Amino acid sequence: MIYLDNAATTKPDENCLKLAEKYLYTDFYNPSALYAEGYGVQLALKEARKNILKTIADCERFDLIFTSCGTEADNHALFCGGKRGNVITTEGEHSAVISCVNELKQRGIEVRFARLNGDGSVNFEHLLSLVDEKTSLVSVIHVGNETGAINDILKISAAIKSKNKYTLFHSDGVQAFGKIPFRMSENIDLYSVSAHKIGGIKGCGALFKRKNLVLKPHVYGGGQENGYRSGTENIFGIKNFEFAAHRKYSEIKENFDKVKKLSDTMWERLDKSLFVRISGENCSPYILTVGASGVRGETIMHDANDLGLIVGNGSACASNEKKRYSRTILACGVNESLADGILRLSFSFENTIEEVVAAAEILNKAVKYRKDMMA
Amino acid sequence: MEKVVIIRYSEIHLKGKNRGYFERVFSQNIEKSLKGVKHETHRLSGRYLIEGFDEWETEVILDKLKRVFGIHSYSVALKTASDMQHIFAAAKEVCSISGSFKVVSHRADKSFPLNSMQISAEIGGRLLSENKNISVDVHNPQFTINIDVRENGTTLVFNEFFKGAGGMPVGTSGKGLLLISGGIDSPVAGHMIAKRGMSLECIHYHSYPYTNLQARDKVIELAGVLAKYTCGIKLHIVSVTHIQEEIHKKCNGEYMVTILRRFMMRIAEKIAARCGAQCLITGESLGQVASQTIEGMTSSNSVIDNLPVLRPLCGFDKDEIIERSRNIGAYEISIQPFEDCCTVFLPKHPVIKPSLKTVIEEEEKLDVQALLNEALSSVETVVL
Repeated sequence: MIYLDNAATTKPDENCLKLAEKYLYTDFYNPSALYAEGYGVQLALKEARKNILKTIADCERFDLIFTSCGTEADNHALFCGGKRGNVITTEGEHSAVISCVNELKQRGIEVRFARLNGDGSVNFEHLLSLVDEKTSLVSVIHVGNETGAINDILKISAAIKSKNKYTLFHSDGVQAFGKIPFRMSENIDLYSVSAHKIGGIKGCGALFKRKNLVLKPHVYGGGQENGYRSGTENIFGIKNFEFAAHRKYSEIKENFDKVKKLSDTMWERLDKSLFVRISGENCSPYILTVGASGVRGETIMHDANDLGLIVGNGSACASNEKKRYSRTILACGVNESLADGILRLSFSFENTIEEVVAAAEILNKAVKYRKDMMA
Repeated sequence: MEKVVIIRYSEIHLKGKNRGYFERVFSQNIEKSLKGVKHETHRLSGRYLIEGFDEWETEVILDKLKRVFGIHSYSVALKTASDMQHIFAAAKEVCSISGSFKVVSHRADKSFPLNSMQISAEIGGRLLSENKNISVDVHNPQFTINIDVRENGTTLVFNEFFKGAGGMPVGTSGKGLLLISGGIDSPVAGHMIAKRGMSLECIHYHSYPYTNLQARDKVIELAGVLAKYTCGIKLHIVSVTHIQEEIHKKCNGEYMVTILRRFMMRIAEKIAARCGAQCLITGESLGQVASQTIEGMTSSNSVIDNLPVLRPLCGFDKDEIIERSRNIGAYEISIQPFEDCCTVFLPKHPVIKPSLKTVIEEEEKLDVQALLNEALSSVETVVL
């Protein structure tokens, strides 16, 4: 089976699992316990925090709060950062952010959405024009999960801070972390990441936080994570995350180049009379979103599955017509017929050119067959 | 003093010489539904007693009994020895700490020294003298203490009569094949017919890869809801993908649903013959959607040779069906957003009043028998 849905989740890295295994069986102690064994685990936790921090940030200026997933990190940022006035986000966010701002709206906070460009990146000018003296938080996804569009969050956050220095800037970095070379600047207050998108296991994420930023806790209890996120730490998941992040950052450039080749080959091999490219030329090579008009993405997904290929379909297909199309894809200006046939192909450094060539053939075949059928 | 559950049956007592048969099926169904829970069942006259269970499993037992057709009402009672001291102790146990009450006694054991009026007066008086916060109100009491002195030297003391599922024991009215979709209506239709004592098997049609596996799982879950009422169920799953593709390719698109329904009925009839079902059951409600007109029903009925087609929801409005769906615990599953096979290839303007002549003409463009055989060879059966 060829797996090209790595943006949904990646295969856990066996080496990292092995390295972390002792925190399941041997060093299983509660890191908050005061006896020596517990303290030992606390030190291991501290080390993990430092090592993950330093992959993209300066440990002196940033903190890391471990969470249960990227969604929880987004929730923490949005609910504890978006307290008053207005909150701005984009039409290309992950549901973890969209659902939060919808809830903020229910709670009486004005929510503003910045438009997208055709490639799925946020329209910078429009976003900036929405910021005013009452903007408490701006959240912009780093790499769009549906289109792979890269937002220049360093430039965006700097521009926002120069317009209103009190506005907090958050970014969902789940599809960027470990994949796109990048360093945090102090204009970015909060940044969400997740372990299972880079070879870690599910159930572990983190929120980068600017050190001097005052932020309310999101989960209350025993005061773990410096009081920001209570609950006994998932030490196995965290250590596994640390090793996976370390591995990804030590190979980030090679992986980027390799995956770029995979993505380019895929696009080259896809039949242009059947597919339209949705992802822009400068998007993350890890995600290639294409549309096949006149067929349903989900049907092609099943067909491909039966032929030995796993791909994602961009839309959250639902019986409710309004929900059938992805809001992000529609916000890119894609028409409904094409939006129905969206496929998200997402790569890992573990994929090979041979796999991609075979996958392209399967997709060409499946779409051609269904298109003839539906004609 | 032991906690027991009293079960009273509904229409069975109206039966004549075959009453024994109904009672046997009824008690078998009770046993099937309580399978896996420690208990003993005893038959008293006109009622059953569940005893010997662990007290913490009382709610589990009640939850299961709620779904057994044929039960008119049930009560959680304390079973105690038939003497006034024990009866009073049990009455005290079920008595609220405050409020108005009355005591209703029933004496099946005529050798008991006090008659029912005397039992009520005695127990009520003693309760009143011990608790100053309660008072007697025989017309509108806030709670009732029922005392049932049985023939075997035991007495049952309880507060409430809970309404049972009613109807007739499943299995006493033959077997039907329910055409089940992932929607709201068909599980309700199945429930209604099962309530009248019919055991069910289900048939579901899917259009993978145009629909997904979640849609299939949803139907399995819905059939599972019905299975709790019918003491298990068999679900036959049939692919109609190729049939839909052929109709799409060769026939007038407006007739997609009409022709597909005729195929569904034909397949159902064959499966019914295989599993010994004596009728088909559908969740159609007259006029609800374009295909559920009387003309649509005529068109789909005309392919069936002998079997009756029961459509218990014909006279119901959607909101009435939704209410029933909620009550049987299917609604939350039915509204999960996974597409059913009916929505794939859906024409913008389906024919509302199909004439049988045109439908047959359209259908002649297809190799009906070959498609039917193909579908029948794809049947997968899930036992729930």
